[in-house]
Amino acid sequence: MKRNRFLLGAVSGLTVAVNADSFFAKALAAPALPGLPGGADDRILVLVNMQGGNDGLNTVVPYGMQQYYRYRPSIGVTPHDVLSLNAQVGLNPEMKSLKAMYDAGSVAIVQGVGYPKPDHSHFRSTEIWQTAEPDHIESTGWLGRYLDSANLPASNLFNAVAIAQVLPEALIARKVDVPEIPALQGYGLASDKAAGQRMAFSSLVSDGRAPFQSPYLATVAEIEDHAQRGSEELPKLIAGYKTDASYPATPIGRSLALAAQIIGSKTQTRVIYVQHGSFDTHAAQKGTQDRLLRELSDGLKAFYDDLAQHGNDKRTLTMTFSEFGRRVAENASRGTDHGEAGPMMLVGGGVKGGLYGEHPSLDDLDNGDIKFTVDFRSVYSTVVEKWFARPSQGIIAGSFPTMPLLA
Amino acid sequence: MTGSTNTPYRPAGTLSISTALQPYEGPWNKRLAAHLLRRAGFGGSPEEIDRVAATSMNAAVDALIHYPKDTGLPGQPSEMDPQYAQEVALAFQARSRAVDDATVQMQRMQIQQSRQKANLSTIGWWLDRMINSPAPLQEKMTLLWHGHFTSAMFQKGITPKEMVDQNWLFRSNALGNVREITHAVSRDPAMLKYLDNARSNKDHPNENYARELMELFTLGIGNYTENDIRESARAFTGYSVYGPLRGGAFYFNPKIHDDGNKAFLNARGPLDGDQVVDCIFRQPAASRWFAQKFLNFFVYNEPEPQLIDAVAEQIKKNDFQIGPVMSILLRSNVFYSDRAYRALVKSPVEFVVGTQKLFGLKEVTPQAIGALNRMGQVPFHPPSVKGWDGGATWLNSQTVLARENFLNFTVTYATQQMKSATMSASAWMPMTPSLSTKDTTLKLVDAILQGDAAPASMAKLQAYLEGNDSSALGQLSGENFEERMRGAAYLSMAMPAYQLN
Repeated sequence: MKRNRFLLGAVSGLTVAVNADSFFAKALAAPALPGLPGGADDRILVLVNMQGGNDGLNTVVPYGMQQYYRYRPSIGVTPHDVLSLNAQVGLNPEMKSLKAMYDAGSVAIVQGVGYPKPDHSHFRSTEIWQTAEPDHIESTGWLGRYLDSANLPASNLFNAVAIAQVLPEALIARKVDVPEIPALQGYGLASDKAAGQRMAFSSLVSDGRAPFQSPYLATVAEIEDHAQRGSEELPKLIAGYKTDASYPATPIGRSLALAAQIIGSKTQTRVIYVQHGSFDTHAAQKGTQDRLLRELSDGLKAFYDDLAQHGNDKRTLTMTFSEFGRRVAENASRGTDHGEAGPMMLVGGGVKGGLYGEHPSLDDLDNGDIKFTVDFRSVYSTVVEKWFARPSQGIIAGSFPTMPLLA
Repeated sequence: MTGSTNTPYRPAGTLSISTALQPYEGPWNKRLAAHLLRRAGFGGSPEEIDRVAATSMNAAVDALIHYPKDTGLPGQPSEMDPQYAQEVALAFQARSRAVDDATVQMQRMQIQQSRQKANLSTIGWWLDRMINSPAPLQEKMTLLWHGHFTSAMFQKGITPKEMVDQNWLFRSNALGNVREITHAVSRDPAMLKYLDNARSNKDHPNENYARELMELFTLGIGNYTENDIRESARAFTGYSVYGPLRGGAFYFNPKIHDDGNKAFLNARGPLDGDQVVDCIFRQPAASRWFAQKFLNFFVYNEPEPQLIDAVAEQIKKNDFQIGPVMSILLRSNVFYSDRAYRALVKSPVEFVVGTQKLFGLKEVTPQAIGALNRMGQVPFHPPSVKGWDGGATWLNSQTVLARENFLNFTVTYATQQMKSATMSASAWMPMTPSLSTKDTTLKLVDAILQGDAAPASMAKLQAYLEGNDSSALGQLSGENFEERMRGAAYLSMAMPAYQLN
């Protein structure tokens, strides 16, 4: 019994059609792609959610496009400040650490990523990015489907870990239960004194029987059982890990430090999900977004220093995403409203660095928003097929060309 | 929309739609009394549950709905700093006058300290009301509205006072008219700041409030277009808030309001925000939106479309007046059905407040607020404009451990309070070893779970009470007995049933 998320369609008055039994369920048992290079079994994906809708135009700044400054008289990044990538675009000046990694060839930036008929709602668009299903409500996440298909050991409680307060939809699987561990502190039971109580506890909480019916009973019993066993196992598995990397004292810094520790331990984790934000900058955008981009950039630098020290940098791919970019024109509050396409960043020793995709035009807008040039499912398919060496069929619905993002 | 894979948390069995909203006429007992108190309030002590079980269902619901106007509780947080907003404004002024760094630094620290004091005192103020109010349904509805029409303290410069004012808007209209609540929310300073409407002007309308008003507050996705959002944002320009030094109240600023013609849903003309709200409430989707909200909050998750329609019909019939709708719902067959019984997951607030009520612990401790934070629900701090997702999302390894650790703390704390005789309400917790282990087990499971434990679990609990050497409770030393009782109470609450509402 895996956790299923609250279906938007089911609670919102059924406005979105639900595909009762999607093809995903049937495709779970597909074999690995033949003929791909080996080593995929110890590869790790770290997914960073830039939650709230990151303004892509002030992240990868199209400083070579004059229209940009016409649309953004007060919040536009001046050409002088941009960390130039080529004559047309450059990074936000707060991303110096990431720029250095880009120059070293370990950052790929995909421009103009989005999907057809973009939704401007945080919640629906987040759901679309997390499930990779723009056209209907899907109850599993794209990484959940990968986890289900990857034949991971059922006894491992840490096949994937969400460094987040709640389970992200991307990790909702049918077979694999993913623990949420926002921090090590607080991940454990306080009452360890009496062994008798401990034993009674573990058998009582995992007993799904009760003299009443409840749709949540099995879920509660499973999570209590996993939480108890997981919190006993994890500290043992990651004990003794040391690093010289200096992480910034920020939430994303702490999350990435924990991620590196998990990667460097015996947990055999395949996927780690990290939360960063909020990027929902409707007002006074500059201060907030600049800070968040700097924290991300500096955090990733420390993360890869740490991984490299332990020889894990090549087998760890980090990928960012955000539910949408933001409106091209700034609003009256020196912020931006919900928009459409935005850039994705892929970082790691296994990445073929550089700029990919075409930067969307600022002369040909969709009702004030840039039009996407790369479908996000192309990037996802690349990760599934080229990084994890699994067929994307059954994981990503539809057929999308992969991109040469990986070395 | 059928098929169990897509509605995994809809209860098993079949809905009888023709009788679902008819008044329940079956037997009235302790389990149903506790169910009503948990859903329409925050639970109660075993003594309270017994009292309600001894009346009738109708009397119990009447008492909840016709609640006393005067609760005798403080109307404002005792330590909410009334100077807070002014302090912030003055500090900003000081900074712009370019005073030296040390002074600015000191002012920052003072602001930080007064923020934290006001924060804890404001959260504690509301939790105190939830625990001690003689009008629990009023507080429960206030919590529902707070999670629905969300704003968050300290975000976008929202002060504790503004959150408390908004909280009173919900409390005063707890069972009132939701269209009127929406009108009031559209002029509420905390809301206008939270969703960036306070500075929206006709040259560059800010769409944040206009979007969430329809997407989350009233209609749901699919019942309007992107163009409707843009038109609504124009209508709401000029719905502004004075700065803190000018009192911080709502005002309409005609100078920045767009008074041009708009085409919003099926309305045309130079619409303003209030006309937009009226137009929204003429849409059939509005009554359905609130129907699913109430069913998910009070009855069970993923309710059937027919049930949503039936409740929506009642909402329309009562012209969005919520009191009469709640009166029908809390007396209905579906509410007391096996399908609704323990079919919801306790929210952290329900879990913490309910546990305190169970033990008769009237005071809010800092530990309770810390626990709520780890469980993922701190009043006045919703994680996003969507509020709290609820349901299965309450439960994960992190939050479940926080729940268990709060129970462990509470049991220890409660026994200390009982020993120092500052508390008498927990008479249900056997404190002398005169009962047999079997009777003690029955008593605990009855008080904590209204008997909702499987025979196998009862046997395990009894085995724990007996210990490894099968010693009877009476043979334990006083200290060991107490530890054993604490452990057994904790274990009873650790059973999955206790997580369910």
